Amino acid sequence: MDNTVSRRRFLGTIAAVGAGTAATSTAVNAENHPPGWSGTQRVEKIATTCEMCFWRCGVLANVADGKVVRLEGNPDHPLTKGRLCARGNAGTSLLYDPDRLKFPLLRTGKRGEGQFRRISWNEALDFLASRLKAIAVEHGPESVALFPHGLSARFFSTLMKAYGTPNSAEPSFAQCRGPREVGYTLTFGRELGSPEPLDLEESRLIVLIGSHLGENVFTSQITAFATALSRGAKVIAVDPRFSTAASKADWWLPIRPGTDIALLLAWMNVLIAEGLHDQEYITRYAQGFNELATHVREFTPEWAAAITQLPAAQIRDTARAMGAAKPAVVVHPGRHVTWYGDDTQRARAMAILTALLGSWGRKGGIFLPTPIPKGAFDLPPFPDPPRGRADGAGTRYPLASEELGVTNGLVDATVTGKPYPIKAWIVYGQNVLESIPEPQKTLKAIDALDLMVVVDVLPVEQINYADLVLPEATYLERYDSPSIVTTARQPFVSVRFPACDPLYESKPGWWIAKETAKRLGLDAWFPWNTPDEHLATIIAPMDINGEELRARGAVAFPGRPYLDDRAADSESPFPTGSGKIELFSRELENLGADPLPRYTPVEDPPAGYLRLIYGRAPVHSFARTQNNEVLNALMAENEAWLSTRSATDLGLREGDRVVLENTDGVRSLPVRVKVTEGIRQDCAYLVHGFGQRSKGLHRAFKRGASDTGLMTRVKVDPLMGGTGMRVNFVRVVKQTTGI
Amino acid sequence: MARYAMVTDLTKCVACQACTVACNAEWGVPAGYARTRVRSTPISGTFPHLASGVYVAQCNQCDRPPCVEACPSGATSQGANGIVEVDKSLCIGCGFCLDACPYDARYINPVTKKVDKCDFCLARLERGAEPACVTTCTAHAKYFGDLEDRHSDVFKMVYAMGARRMETSRVRVGPNVYYAGEQARADLVMAAFPPRPPRLLAAGEAWSRVLKPLVLAAVGATFVGQAVAFFNQLRNGEKDFED
Ligand code: SF4
Ligand code: SF4
Ligand code: SF4
Repeated sequence: MDNTVSRRRFLGTIAAVGAGTAATSTAVNAENHPPGWSGTQRVEKIATTCEMCFWRCGVLANVADGKVVRLEGNPDHPLTKGRLCARGNAGTSLLYDPDRLKFPLLRTGKRGEGQFRRISWNEALDFLASRLKAIAVEHGPESVALFPHGLSARFFSTLMKAYGTPNSAEPSFAQCRGPREVGYTLTFGRELGSPEPLDLEESRLIVLIGSHLGENVFTSQITAFATALSRGAKVIAVDPRFSTAASKADWWLPIRPGTDIALLLAWMNVLIAEGLHDQEYITRYAQGFNELATHVREFTPEWAAAITQLPAAQIRDTARAMGAAKPAVVVHPGRHVTWYGDDTQRARAMAILTALLGSWGRKGGIFLPTPIPKGAFDLPPFPDPPRGRADGAGTRYPLASEELGVTNGLVDATVTGKPYPIKAWIVYGQNVLESIPEPQKTLKAIDALDLMVVVDVLPVEQINYADLVLPEATYLERYDSPSIVTTARQPFVSVRFPACDPLYESKPGWWIAKETAKRLGLDAWFPWNTPDEHLATIIAPMDINGEELRARGAVAFPGRPYLDDRAADSESPFPTGSGKIELFSRELENLGADPLPRYTPVEDPPAGYLRLIYGRAPVHSFARTQNNEVLNALMAENEAWLSTRSATDLGLREGDRVVLENTDGVRSLPVRVKVTEGIRQDCAYLVHGFGQRSKGLHRAFKRGASDTGLMTRVKVDPLMGGTGMRVNFVRVVKQTTGI
Repeated sequence: MARYAMVTDLTKCVACQACTVACNAEWGVPAGYARTRVRSTPISGTFPHLASGVYVAQCNQCDRPPCVEACPSGATSQGANGIVEVDKSLCIGCGFCLDACPYDARYINPVTKKVDKCDFCLARLERGAEPACVTTCTAHAKYFGDLEDRHSDVFKMVYAMGARRMETSRVRVGPNVYYAGEQARADLVMAAFPPRPPRLLAAGEAWSRVLKPLVLAAVGATFVGQAVAFFNQLRNGEKDFED
């Protein structure tokens, strides 16, 4: 086994890491010298954390002569144990991508023209600070909005809170996991978090509703899924498309899109009607069962069959399979779950199903997070923002997270100037034109700004609209705020340590935030001088040794994942208002919403149109990796999946070039057709993240079609503000001429 | 002597391609080329009764490797442990072995102009590590070990669980890469990606006796260019081994 990693004894000073320097080099020995590399190179292994996606796997960076020559999984990482996905293995191609942003840039041409002048960091940060000061005076600090994402985003969040704005919003809430965190919190009193605390290895039945594990890859979750498969766990895959997961499933339910709540209600109906639910667990931990039982009585499999277009017998069989496997059933809560605007209610239905099966807190179900203590700085209190949030979090969207915010709410406020004008955006670690739907509206919002600042690694399309572009160091070149994961079987802390110096003039996020703070007179909120001081404070109460953490990259603690582990606790494991699992939600009732989930009919595609659905490919993350040399070679563009029937009707053959045109007349770039039986006839499918329109990305430019570009409509979840994005319809237009 | 084998469990493999990229990174395989390839079969059946499978293809380190037979320069050879190696210093990049390999496991590196392929990460094995693809496989779907060792995972999977080789009645070269998982899944893969009969030179019978020494002499005399030209010409007259 390749576990004989020679641990880097970290001898260098704390400041050396701060400067992003790979400190001392240990001599190569035959054990750890990777093959294929020159024997004269001195190879050192630096434990760090992957950021090719946001799962945060443990990486060992093999560094020779200051160059990262090979990434491999960190065998000591409690979650990933030496494994990395394709993207994780391809991280050096991001680090050495010649297209990277290299210097701070100040816009010279019009917005969108992509004309810039190279400036120094001093000039860049002085410019930023002076503009922020002026905006605070003229419009108030609350007119500045932050769009953060990722670990280093925390430094920018601190900066913006200190500056005095409440307006910060991450797409991970309103465009991704928000509805499920709200829906599960309403039910169990706590959110799921990331990574999801799913006891897949021990489960006997895995229920996937629109989760395409395998194409959507997170290393440890795939490991657990595959382990479950090899142990004979059964799989129910509910998906309009025959996904990789569906190809492994015992039951594939090609559901009519948007009708999942009907299916979930029918499953509950069968479980309760046939007494297959976990009555003991419900009696002990839950309230509202009688209301639920009455509510679902009419939602029979026959009722649902008409709506979902699934056979009633199949609905009944799958419910019985769940009943037989309980409580070792994982109803996978999904990740990107903003689909039809009723997403919180769908999440509620999944949570209630989970409760009926007694699987929350039980072996083979969903396990409980184990908190670990985290150190904090003694910061001055943040100033009270002059006005409340502009995005409606907590007000217009009563259940939206005020910590994570509603990105689309900020876009709306920027466009309308209501409740008050937003004058500046700072975008960090995300691409607002790909992560937020209705990009046409996003561009309109950007148009209304006095200042747009983008901190990024690659010249993605949004930089062309920025006034100021700040090149960030990649994850392999920077320290990041430690990642504290409580939702694993064993909670752990891991750190992203720099494996090499930042290339060009790129700078780590922490440095950019801290230097800006300095210029704004906000030093007091950045009371540490180096990343190591920062780290030392955060891990102070953890009873671990910083050296050990640095050598191993991650340190785990004992976990208490099951309800049985908590039997002696005085506090309820379900921190809801009632201290019970709330099958019936008073909180929703008080908001005038359905206290029990209800199916609301979805629109069918207009004649000649197909519903646009989208998802992931294993070799790409979001719209972040399409320019990566290695990953691009494996998948340079997406394909539009069409059913054999649709393709025949349209006279299309596999590989034909088409454009997709939505009901608002917006067209995609040309895309190849994949003709397959593996998709419902009423749908077209694209892998997300392609069709990018930035010339600066030499490999990704204009390859494939962008799903986001075709999302000119969304259905906003009234409870939490998330954008339902599966409500767009496209027709397929054959491309007879060249691109 | 060890008899190395690799088993891929097709039930577990999710086609994530981590193995491909880890291998690329380990061996400096240029983007767009691969020593280990992951291919999905077309989806078969009629909606909604469908099936599909994944095939992870690489050099099988065959017991009777036609590539060794085909190599005019002696660059491709088989070690006592069964691993088929390419000595890059001897490879003339003629590509005969590409035609000979029933599994299309080889490629010519566009930078070095030499042939490259999977060698079970021999250099890693020598330092006690497992092949890069096995180490990184997100699904733990890949197993590596010694078929002579009754306690190894691969022994159990091959002899107790009936892992299969991708062989047909026409192509039997003794591959040492096995596939575990349900029969139906393996059948799908076999139907989609069967090994093809090795294509050797028309003069297949004679050439290895007569021409190989010639080329070796040419290589020795550094007339590599001529040798390549000569064989490229000959290659146009190829035919299937068995037909
Ligand atoms: S799942 Fe892959 S890309 Fe994401 S953190 Fe893990 S190795 Fe990196
Ligand atoms: S798989 Fe191909 S390259 Fe590998 S030993 Fe067999 S014939 Fe040779
Ligand atoms: S890494 Fe493993 S799961 Fe992924 S494609 Fe390769 S063999 Fe399959």
